[in-house]
Amino acid sequence: MIARGTEAAPPSPFTPEQQRRFDEGFEWAVNKYPPERRKSALLAVLHLAQDQLGWLPESAMAYVGARLEVPAVRVREVATFYTMYRLKPVGRHHIGVCNSISCWAMGSEKVLEQCEERLGIKKGHTTKDGKFSLEEVACLAACGGAPAVLVNNFAYYENVTPDSMSRLILQLAEQPGQPMAQAPEPRPTLPILEKQSQPQATGPEAATTWAEAGSTERK
Amino acid sequence: MAGPARILTVDWDKQDSFALATYQASGGYKALPKALKMQPQQIVDEVVKSNLRGRGGAGFPTGMKWNFVRKETSFPKYLTVNADEGEPGTFKDREILLRSPHMFVEGLVIGCYAIDCHLTYVYCRGEFRETAMKRVQTAIDEAYAEGFAGKNILGSGFDLEIRVVYGAGAYICGEETAMLESIEGRKGYPRLKPPFPANAGGGLFKQPTAVNNVETLANMPAIVNMGGEEYAKIGVPKNGGTRLFAISGHVKKPGVYEAPMGVTFRKLLDEYAGGMRDGSILKAIIPGGASSAIMTAEEVDWPNDFDTLKAKKTMAGSGAVVYLDQSVNMAHALANVMRFFAHESCGQCTPCREGTAWLSRLLDKIAQGRGERQDVDNVHQIARQMEMKTICALADGAAMPAKSYIEKFRADFDALVRE
Repeated sequence: MIARGTEAAPPSPFTPEQQRRFDEGFEWAVNKYPPERRKSALLAVLHLAQDQLGWLPESAMAYVGARLEVPAVRVREVATFYTMYRLKPVGRHHIGVCNSISCWAMGSEKVLEQCEERLGIKKGHTTKDGKFSLEEVACLAACGGAPAVLVNNFAYYENVTPDSMSRLILQLAEQPGQPMAQAPEPRPTLPILEKQSQPQATGPEAATTWAEAGSTERK
Repeated sequence: MAGPARILTVDWDKQDSFALATYQASGGYKALPKALKMQPQQIVDEVVKSNLRGRGGAGFPTGMKWNFVRKETSFPKYLTVNADEGEPGTFKDREILLRSPHMFVEGLVIGCYAIDCHLTYVYCRGEFRETAMKRVQTAIDEAYAEGFAGKNILGSGFDLEIRVVYGAGAYICGEETAMLESIEGRKGYPRLKPPFPANAGGGLFKQPTAVNNVETLANMPAIVNMGGEEYAKIGVPKNGGTRLFAISGHVKKPGVYEAPMGVTFRKLLDEYAGGMRDGSILKAIIPGGASSAIMTAEEVDWPNDFDTLKAKKTMAGSGAVVYLDQSVNMAHALANVMRFFAHESCGQCTPCREGTAWLSRLLDKIAQGRGERQDVDNVHQIARQMEMKTICALADGAAMPAKSYIEKFRADFDALVRE
């Protein structure tokens, strides 16, 4: 079977500097597995691509699939299954507030409300200037320091209160954060279909098809 | 930290407890040369005698699991470490990785030697990559440099490669077969069993595989040093040793405490966690992570071990104990727990995918005061129908709290529903 979509190498989504870091990390990730199992490095390579870009655009998924010789459908399946992979751009500071049971009991909803108020966005959204985005996340395994907050997937903050959350937001606002999330790539627009009321084929048989099927004019 | 027996937390109060020098100063890496002079089967025999039960949640006897793998004749064999800690309330593996990474690494090498594994994967949740796992990676690098890992370990002729791989935010990958799928680079759909991971055809790359929790392995140096029988004396029958209890909720001193298996919930609360916070009265106890059945304040004298809690129709699970006070309405708490399970259901089995989502919708409705008495009965009914019908235990883990919260705290639900 030919894994369609992997025949021709898609263009790299990276700048030369990002490409260098990606290539280095790629070797490292693939070498964690025996040579015949290199495709198993898919999760690691997706992490690597996201580390460079801040999220996983279509072009990055296509590129990762081609580098690992993994069919595009499997790349997409994995990228959409795991919540740390971002399928759309997020802010330079992506704030995840844990709202699982221990954090919830210790007031995580107040922290979440404070974020929404401070940033002027609801959870799941990004501020207009692209600086902040907000998300409710599942248990971070930091319940002893509840409520816990995770910034940009990896930085833990514990025993967060609404006040300390405000201060953290002010601090973060002065830092550069992760690679600027780019706008979604333009998808190729489909040509607009012509009105389909007239049968396109000529000849007596083709001319009666629509009417016989009981179909009215298509909108 | 109170308590007489300290195995896992022995270095935790020291400065730089994570450093190789600290670990070696308190006897670290003394068990490894001893173990490498033993026959691998002898080590497994000691682990059987120790009555060590897996610390991940299911409490399966570790020695028995290793014997299953040893009996297989298909090679290579693998040991994979489950460091995908994510059960709400659980944070003990993170503390081991942060504070005593070398103890874990030494235990890992001993475990691999015992089951004849030469390539091991540590599967860690992605969120730990820049914090806890930085320390573990340093510890692994130091172990290689000192000859505790790599080729010809301490001149014994035993080779072991340790590889750390990361998940990407999926609770289900803490389920052992979903974890194997994830290590192999796929989405985390649990596998139908049998074959079990320990058997040929069921493990990593279809080879016999032992899947062990971080804390389970961290106990290995102690078992080798003191012998299985001595270790077993610390706990209660069939539940050997000490355990790390991750205590959170409305207590004065939340944190991870080491206590012998079979310690009561009252003792954990009063002597370890400093009691309830001022103004807080104990109302409910989550005994082993969010998927365990709830306990009432009156049940605080129950001992915390796998067999007792199983007999009481709940479970010791991951050792995560959450103490909740009178400010919590249990219907709201259950709605929160169910949102988690609905979010984390992988979607493979219909009873779980549809059941958790349905329960979550019903419980949100009840929590928002729009529910009726019938909705509460329906939650109980649906939960019962989800049990034992799916490939993995996530559905059962969602059904257990749903049933027990209603059975034990019905008044909280009735207070919210319209007549």
